[in-house]
Amino acid sequence: MSDIGKVRIRVPSSIKAGEVVKVRSLVIHPMERIERDAQGKIIDKKYNFITKVTVTYLGKTVVAFDTTQSISENPFFSFAIRATDPGQLKVVFADTAGGKYEGTADIKFA
Amino acid sequence: MADDRARVSRRVVLAGLAAAGAVAAVGTSAPRSAAAQALGAQESVEAGLKRLFGGRPLKDGSGVVKLDIPLIAENGAVVPVTVEVTSPMTPANHVKHIYVVADKNRIPIVTRVAFIPEAGQAYMGANIRLGETGDVRAIAEQSDGTLLQIKREVKVTVGGCGG
Repeated sequence: MSDIGKVRIRVPSSIKAGEVVKVRSLVIHPMERIERDAQGKIIDKKYNFITKVTVTYLGKTVVAFDTTQSISENPFFSFAIRATDPGQLKVVFADTAGGKYEGTADIKFA
Repeated sequence: MADDRARVSRRVVLAGLAAAGAVAAVGTSAPRSAAAQALGAQESVEAGLKRLFGGRPLKDGSGVVKLDIPLIAENGAVVPVTVEVTSPMTPANHVKHIYVVADKNRIPIVTRVAFIPEAGQAYMGANIRLGETGDVRAIAEQSDGTLLQIKREVKVTVGGCGG
């Protein structure tokens, strides 16, 4: 899939200073599940799934998700931040294959 | 000129081979990254909770922790869940982590979310997989170490965990 790593972030359209806003983010990723052979034994290979999601706002890691394979394919995450100053919000997804996918959104006040 | 180009290309090829060898060596010595498996292991939910929290008691978190998940999940591969914890989110009293645990999954620990007071609100949402009908728990770890738990049973029509 060539779309792997496509990140989408949605912030509310109008934000007031000091408000707590809910941000939604999505990444296209297969989140491989554990596979088993015919005998039911786990096939030992390196599964590619996202293990870490970090949300950075104003240079600080505000929220961090540690994830496992129990998270759906094309994972969706939402979280809240307190919008104190205008700035950039960055979400980085890291998977077990060493891939890092990031998306940014601007926090600005109406 | 021709000689020069040949030399460069040979160097490039050699460098490429060396890099490939290094990757292969790393790949065979560590078939599965230890860090990647640290949080989510194939285990029973009791073992998972013990590993995460030791023997610390899980207090009833109803009224403080809000777990929003469908009662019936038609497709276990994608189950939306949100967890919200009522907390002032000050440096002295805030929610440090939210854990989502699916009791019946082969990998019961679904996710751990870390917060700092600047988040303003302990809120998380994610799409998770559920293997079969069973309890889903949300556990909030507060800055003083208190663990608050809330449980909800989810009926799963088609499991979504495969392995």
